[in-house]
Amino acid sequence: MNELFQDLVVQMLIGISTGLILALVASGLTLIFGIMDVVNFAHGELFMLGAYMGWVFFTMTGSFWLGLAAAALCVFVFGLIMQRSALRSLIGSDPLTTILATFGISLVLQTAAIWIWGPTVRRVGAAFTGHVAVFHLQFPVYRFLVAMLSLAIIGGLWLFMHRGRFGLWIRATTQDRQMALAMGIPVPLVHTVVFGIGAAMAATSGYLYAPILGVDPTMGVNNILRAFIIVVVGGMGNLWGSVLAAVFIGMLEALAVIWVSPALAVIFSFAALIVTLLVRPTGLFVAVPR
Amino acid sequence: MLKLQDVQAFYGKSHVLHGVSLDVEDGQVVGLLGRNGVGKSTTLKAIMGLVAVQSGSITFAGHDLHRQRPYRIPRLGIGYVPEDRRIFPQLTVLDNLRTGFDRRGAAARTEQLLEQAYGSFPRLKERQRQLAGTLSGGEQQMLAIARAMMLDPQIILLDEPTEGLMPRLVGQIREIIDVLRQASVSILLVEQNVPMTLAVSDRVYLMERGAIRHEAPASELSVDDDVIHKYLGV
Amino acid sequence: MAGTRSAEKPGFWIAFLVVVAVLAVVPLWFPNSFWQRLLTEVLILGLLAMSSDLLIGYVGMVSFGHALFFGTGCYGAAYALTWTESPFALWLALLLGLAGAAVMGIFVAFYSTRLRDIYFSITTLVFAQIFWVIVFTWTDVTGGENGLVFSPPRLSFLGLFAAEFTTMSMHWFVLAVVALCYVFCRRVTQSPFGKVLQAIRENEPRTRAIGYNVERHKMGMVMLSALVAGLSGALYGIFNAYAAPDYFFFLQSGETVIYNVLGGIGTLAGPVLGAGVFVLLKELFSTYWSPEYYLIPVGLLFTIMVIYMPQGLLGFLRHKLNE
Repeated sequence: MNELFQDLVVQMLIGISTGLILALVASGLTLIFGIMDVVNFAHGELFMLGAYMGWVFFTMTGSFWLGLAAAALCVFVFGLIMQRSALRSLIGSDPLTTILATFGISLVLQTAAIWIWGPTVRRVGAAFTGHVAVFHLQFPVYRFLVAMLSLAIIGGLWLFMHRGRFGLWIRATTQDRQMALAMGIPVPLVHTVVFGIGAAMAATSGYLYAPILGVDPTMGVNNILRAFIIVVVGGMGNLWGSVLAAVFIGMLEALAVIWVSPALAVIFSFAALIVTLLVRPTGLFVAVPR
Repeated sequence: MLKLQDVQAFYGKSHVLHGVSLDVEDGQVVGLLGRNGVGKSTTLKAIMGLVAVQSGSITFAGHDLHRQRPYRIPRLGIGYVPEDRRIFPQLTVLDNLRTGFDRRGAAARTEQLLEQAYGSFPRLKERQRQLAGTLSGGEQQMLAIARAMMLDPQIILLDEPTEGLMPRLVGQIREIIDVLRQASVSILLVEQNVPMTLAVSDRVYLMERGAIRHEAPASELSVDDDVIHKYLGV
Repeated sequence: MAGTRSAEKPGFWIAFLVVVAVLAVVPLWFPNSFWQRLLTEVLILGLLAMSSDLLIGYVGMVSFGHALFFGTGCYGAAYALTWTESPFALWLALLLGLAGAAVMGIFVAFYSTRLRDIYFSITTLVFAQIFWVIVFTWTDVTGGENGLVFSPPRLSFLGLFAAEFTTMSMHWFVLAVVALCYVFCRRVTQSPFGKVLQAIRENEPRTRAIGYNVERHKMGMVMLSALVAGLSGALYGIFNAYAAPDYFFFLQSGETVIYNVLGGIGTLAGPVLGAGVFVLLKELFSTYWSPEYYLIPVGLLFTIMVIYMPQGLLGFLRHKLNE
């Protein structure tokens, strides 16, 4: 077997696992947009905050899993507070207003992270450090693990949305906010909780990404753009569209790395966005809130 | 039971309700007639807390609705059937009905309500697993009414239920109103269909330019009355 | 100057001339050149903000990528100045800066017609980031991380005379350009062309139904906005004798939006005021706290203003005066 083929397979595996981690960010983003028309520019900072919270608890307890739980929980609560204090009063207003407000919040959070933790990159040890052999190359087990975990979380979200009362409230509110109110659904609560869930998913993603990339204050900015591209390519408000687009973008960038430097690989996802917008301005998959 | 006093409301920047006063008593069917755009639908939305009420009072069974959060209003026992039906198109028929389940967790009661709704609309039971958006217009109207009934309401606000329906289905809507009346559910019926409204209502209000202009028992009015012509004639 | 065709009231011209005169004269009493240069910088950033206001305030499109035009304007000027030292260098630099921004403008204008709200915001952001990555990595041509350093041009008019820029003559030159741009942009927004754009912002389908070519109007305004932003970038390059990849960075675009919100969207003059407030706050917090963390208080202020005072400082003042 020739070397290029082996490279291709390994890079594709890397791409799929990266894509699934990003899918956590993107699906939260798309869920929040679908239900309250809020484009959360601060979503990258929630991703970054999750990585930091996880790192703090990981260094304190030495347990990868406690770090994961702490990251999700802390940022879930933070998301609730952020939605209630800043965004709730903006729901129903011009979407541009919410873009500006969340942009302001992202600046504050990012700078606050530099202030609190400094600009240096922090390391989080992976839960599993083993490798499996793929051809003559070593492929980290950790990547398989996070890919599975991400899929499980997205599957869990889907189950939550389709079983039980709260999931029904979420779906009803996404389809018709006023009518949901008229059926006695506590729409403000639904909005806050959905924002919290989206925040927690971003935090989980940030923490799972940490052993691969390290933790630093700009990790949010660096990844949010990709998350936006994924959400637009996948169709705003479409959960499975976002997951597919995430895997696609992840693979595209991983394969690009074979030929160009990692810094330039991101241009390929930009190109994917531009082509998508040319062909179908509302994304490849039609947004169907289900 | 439901009482509106001098309600002023805005839709965006335009002043739509200029002091609406009306009341619906227990078990009554009250008709609200008027031309297009005189504020009939806005009156219902104001009751549901879906438009901002500037001044005036709306009370229901001792509660001041003006001060309630919008989602608490239906829980007091007010069902709302909007004019364009507004069913949740991407939910199944059953899920549409489940949005109105009793939230205090009385499972037995919700089963009973569901059976009652399916009893009134057997068609919906046949299609309970189907997406609501795929139903026909008439079926969607039934679903919208059944969904409101799931709240176990004391009163239902019906906004132009016969609009765009075939004459056969209009008859069906009439039957449904009679069924609700027998279950001692009050109804505030917004309509443009004068004969039907006069036939089913106990009392009728005539509305023009955002205010009530005339009130009379339905039995004292007929389709050809001057007052009907004045406020509804073309 | 006002002419008979002008729709402006004489009051406007008096106020305009007073403000320009104050901006021209006041720096003479500044204790040192630091504050003089700071005011010049505010004017240049204000021009950038004004260009972005043309889209936000008059078409309702929020660009999160104005750094793209600003950066190309700056690098365009930088190229001209590394290449020639002729007496016309200043004008060549401005021209090349404008040309660079025009190319980018055509690109974005083409897209702008098919994208609404958030899609436009995200796409402009992505465009700007693409070029940031390119400038950052293509070291041979752009100087990469280090940027381009060059000697500033001499001030010249039609080859009649040429003199080295002093701090004050640079200030007056920038002030003249910014004031002319302001008058021009104001004229455009009040012209029939500008009125159609405002109609589009209020109700696009109706404007289309009346028979206006919505696409052409939007593209025209995006082009104008790109050119003005490019001009501010070229001025900034000449002013600093330096072009850095940071000018393309997301933060530059973001700060431009902040100037708008602080000063007041849809007023053209407000964003200039906003840029002034921003730069002042930045200096204040940098001096008394830390130059790295000024975005914490400024970002908080910005967020609070978006939520509670969306009409901005100028709008707020205007409202107070009307009461």
